[in-house]
Amino acid sequence: MVATETFKPLVLAQAKARKVEARLIVVKHPVGGLNAEELRERIEAATKGLTEATSK
Amino acid sequence: MKDIAEQEVIDIGDMDVEAFNEFATEQGWSDGMPLFVPTETKVAKFVETVRGDNRPFAPVPPRQVIPTVQALAANAVMAGCKPEYFPVVTAALRSVLEPDFNLHGTLATTHSCAPMVMVSGPIRHELNINCGTNCFGQGRQANATIGRALGLMLLNVAGAKPGEMDRSTQGNPAKFTFCFGENEEENPWAPYHVQRGFAPTDSVVTVMSGEGPHNLNDHGSTTGDGLLTTFAGGMANPGANTVYGKGPMFVIIGPEHAATLKRDGFTIESIRQELWKRSRIHLSRVSKENLATYESTGHKPDGDWLSIGRSPDDIHITVAGGPGKHSAFIPSFGGTMVACTRVAR
Amino acid sequence: MRIYNPSFGLSATSAEKVTLKPVNWATDPIALISNSKPNARELLEGIRSKLGAHRQVENIKFMAKNSASQPAPKELIQDVAKNYRAAILALGD
Repeated sequence: MVATETFKPLVLAQAKARKVEARLIVVKHPVGGLNAEELRERIEAATKGLTEATSK
Repeated sequence: MKDIAEQEVIDIGDMDVEAFNEFATEQGWSDGMPLFVPTETKVAKFVETVRGDNRPFAPVPPRQVIPTVQALAANAVMAGCKPEYFPVVTAALRSVLEPDFNLHGTLATTHSCAPMVMVSGPIRHELNINCGTNCFGQGRQANATIGRALGLMLLNVAGAKPGEMDRSTQGNPAKFTFCFGENEEENPWAPYHVQRGFAPTDSVVTVMSGEGPHNLNDHGSTTGDGLLTTFAGGMANPGANTVYGKGPMFVIIGPEHAATLKRDGFTIESIRQELWKRSRIHLSRVSKENLATYESTGHKPDGDWLSIGRSPDDIHITVAGGPGKHSAFIPSFGGTMVACTRVAR
Repeated sequence: MRIYNPSFGLSATSAEKVTLKPVNWATDPIALISNSKPNARELLEGIRSKLGAHRQVENIKFMAKNSASQPAPKELIQDVAKNYRAAILALGD
């Protein structure tokens, strides 16, 4: 799951309520409202996080 | 020893009210205002008022727990309710648990929505619920504490803790409490619960996850037609969630405006149709980026106009308040419904 | 003094934790699910494009909730469970 740092507590609380082990990739907040240039940093960070998480 | 969260009854020793409030705040049970102590004796009095209503409660999202009646009563006690209010509070909870109410979404959203609780029928007067002057405001124990009790249940049972599960960007004063009664006595049409198929003698709780009331001031218009122009202008709000066109909204007409509309031959249905037609939003008032977002989720404009709501049926209408030339528009969260529950008696 | 706990309730979810099954991230089909908030889809598109440097992306598909404010429909969840080994959810906000 790709979520922003601001929404991490929500994701963790909901995962706990549903007894799910959330595998989280956290990027800087926000995602909404960014232009294409600003969004590129989030894409880079998310892809890096995904690559690291899936190569373990 | 069990964690406090796993105990239905907790021995807190000899605490006074101030110490209890410190303790409750530490547990995350407080909305920030002082709480009453939910002792076993007080809770038992509340539980007694719903003895005849044995229907189980659905799991409460987002936390997904099935509450006991005692836990619910503890919230009503803490809110300052009288025992006789409790059947109204549990009816409100049953309403928000309707699947299409989308309680999870309404609690976890960044939107400012809070549950609007409207009470209809004879119980309004039995409990001294304010339906007239300042009905959305302060001054009556029933209005203040019934809404607060539901809010505490959503905090403590549903788990809507601000900053954690409750992600509202700015919140809303209505999250403390938002409960009022219909002014059926000055409603020249059918009261809302009767519009929804209940008997006039039924007592009914209606909930909608909404913003606070937006005032619709019109001192100048002398005709129903003029009033509807003002109402529609206030409703055509490109910053309300209703611009997505996917949810209900309430128009709460003040009694003097209602009398003018009635005099000019308007019915609830004709008001609804007129407001639907006149409250569309011109595209010049919507940013290109926002419009692209709406279109991508299926809400396309009709020519140069965006409708608010999916159809005229999304506009819910009734009468409340006292003397004066004011009415109110209450837009909803959007992905929710207006849910009604008869109060079990 | 004894009080009732206002947050007490019985858990409606199973007592057992949901465990994740192994995924071969180099080849398995993946669902990219947007919560329909602005930029969620764009974020996932960017991830998919970058994954293309290391693996085939034809079996990486986009999906979205009908509305940002409502839960994902059952059909969508069933489709993901049946046809994909992994899902990447983007919570744009």
